Amino acid sequence: MELIPPVILYILVDFSVYLIVTLSLNLEVGYAGLPQFGRVLAVLTGALVAGAIPGRLLALMYGLPYGPEYAFYEYNYKVVDTLNTILEKNPLLSITIFIFTLVLAMVLGAVIGYLTSKPAIRLREAYLGITLLAMGDVLMLITYYYTPIIGGTTGVSVVDPFRWTGGARFYVATFTLLGIALLTFLLIERLTKSPYGRVLRAMRDSELVITVYGRDIVKLRTYTLMVGAAIASLGGALYTFYTGSCIASTYTRVTWTFWPWAFMMLGGTGNNLGVMFGVLVFVIVKTLIVMYRGLLAPYVPFDPVWLEYTFVGMAIVLIAIFRPQGLIPEKPIFTIPRKKIEELIKA
Amino acid sequence: MNSNDYILVTKELTKSFGGLVAVNRVSISVRKNSITMLMGPNGAGKTTFVNVCTGVYRPDSGKVFFDGRDITGLPPHEIYKLGFVRTFQIPIPFQSLTVLENVLAAMNSVGENPLIAVVKRRWVRVEEDMIEKAFKIMDTVGLSRFWDLPAYKLGAAQLKMLEVARALAVGAKLIALDEPIGGVDPAYANRILTYVRDLKERFDVTFLLIEHRIDIALPYVDYVYVMDRGSVVVEGTPNEVVKNPKVIEIYIGE
Repeated sequence: MELIPPVILYILVDFSVYLIVTLSLNLEVGYAGLPQFGRVLAVLTGALVAGAIPGRLLALMYGLPYGPEYAFYEYNYKVVDTLNTILEKNPLLSITIFIFTLVLAMVLGAVIGYLTSKPAIRLREAYLGITLLAMGDVLMLITYYYTPIIGGTTGVSVVDPFRWTGGARFYVATFTLLGIALLTFLLIERLTKSPYGRVLRAMRDSELVITVYGRDIVKLRTYTLMVGAAIASLGGALYTFYTGSCIASTYTRVTWTFWPWAFMMLGGTGNNLGVMFGVLVFVIVKTLIVMYRGLLAPYVPFDPVWLEYTFVGMAIVLIAIFRPQGLIPEKPIFTIPRKKIEELIKA
Repeated sequence: MNSNDYILVTKELTKSFGGLVAVNRVSISVRKNSITMLMGPNGAGKTTFVNVCTGVYRPDSGKVFFDGRDITGLPPHEIYKLGFVRTFQIPIPFQSLTVLENVLAAMNSVGENPLIAVVKRRWVRVEEDMIEKAFKIMDTVGLSRFWDLPAYKLGAAQLKMLEVARALAVGAKLIALDEPIGGVDPAYANRILTYVRDLKERFDVTFLLIEHRIDIALPYVDYVYVMDRGSVVVEGTPNEVVKNPKVIEIYIGE
């Protein structure tokens, strides 16, 4: 039974996860003007939460190993297998654990965001960017070589909260992700079309002036890094649940920092709709490259595996040169509809 | 001297950068609901003085009292909250924000907390009130019809008025206007100063006017301090000041 071709599902999943992550990046970069070069840090946090916590909680509930040994490959697949058979028969438990994990991922994401805000107070621009970038890499390397959390270099299997849907698993999982991604879009739209969004753009345009007008930019940056990281962490947790496995080496700065940057730049920095469009275009092109790169192998003088990276890198350069504002540039924003404002003036 | 009559009082305020004493023991008193002018040639230390008063720089010594309260060394956003706001010599608008948004951004809204921002009905009332207030102010300074233009599309003189509008929007008690007519042609400069005079009456605010174009500004002001090389050298009413030989010496040379 194949209602929807797998390639479409694959595109939808990538689109959903990257939409969430890129929107969070756009909030920090496009609206608040923060040099967020460590997006991967929060995404990895969410992945760690999903990879390490729900399985352990269930293991604890059902008397299975939940300590450091949970993450060791000799035990992990057996424990997770047992848990999955339990979850398969228990939709309520599956949904509860799914929602609980997502909420926890967002909370811990916000905590990580709060921690990154500490250097953000003292550093700015390139220096802050480098620091954030390094933080992401450090967490990735620690969790890759330290086995007790998510199994280090072997990774862990992740309990599957969609198992109970049986044959429809991939459909349900895909559309759950898509639904959450669209809700995130609405949330971010609401956030950015509010006085909060306005003050962020004002801060981006001039930190000095917004300070003079009584805003504490340390507080604004802290809020924003927390909100952004919470949302990015949600993306990481969803991706981990979808793939059913978690290994730190998935979360490199290329795939979870630079790619979202490219998507954002293509779509339009500071414009959420643009970002959505940018993510969609990139994900489709990327997927087509992955599908057909085998055919190109005879014509390129290198391993076609690198085509994806080459393409994204080239796109970043070309956008920066020819269309830095992106395909759908930033537009004036009205917190309340234009018509309503015009009525207010007349009154 | 009754301190209640004065909105801003500085005592022996000093600020130096390395060996350069930019502000040297400056003591001034700004009467409430007046337009007090701080004048002097370029490099006299006027802008630095305002920066020290508004918390952008910390003074090396001396005291600043605002509305009877010691505000020496407070950070800018605290001083702002008390009602002392400044504008910039070279206008710094929020470039990509519309004129309306620029004025709104100067005001505080509960909706700036992201948790509250999500629930629109918790801030939309405040937002509507703020928009009405913003339009009243923009009317007074002649910016209403540009309300939905991004600030980068405005001309130099309009940007100056945008600065004033933003300062008014926050309900400031004292507005330090840093060269509001700098780089503006005389006709428009007179209009700006007329606006300022009107605003003083309508909004019950005090203006500290930092200027060096004495010819245009003098008819509009109530009291004048003249600075030169970091110190106040002359003070008095406009008529006294223009006749003072020291002022003539500073401006025209010996």
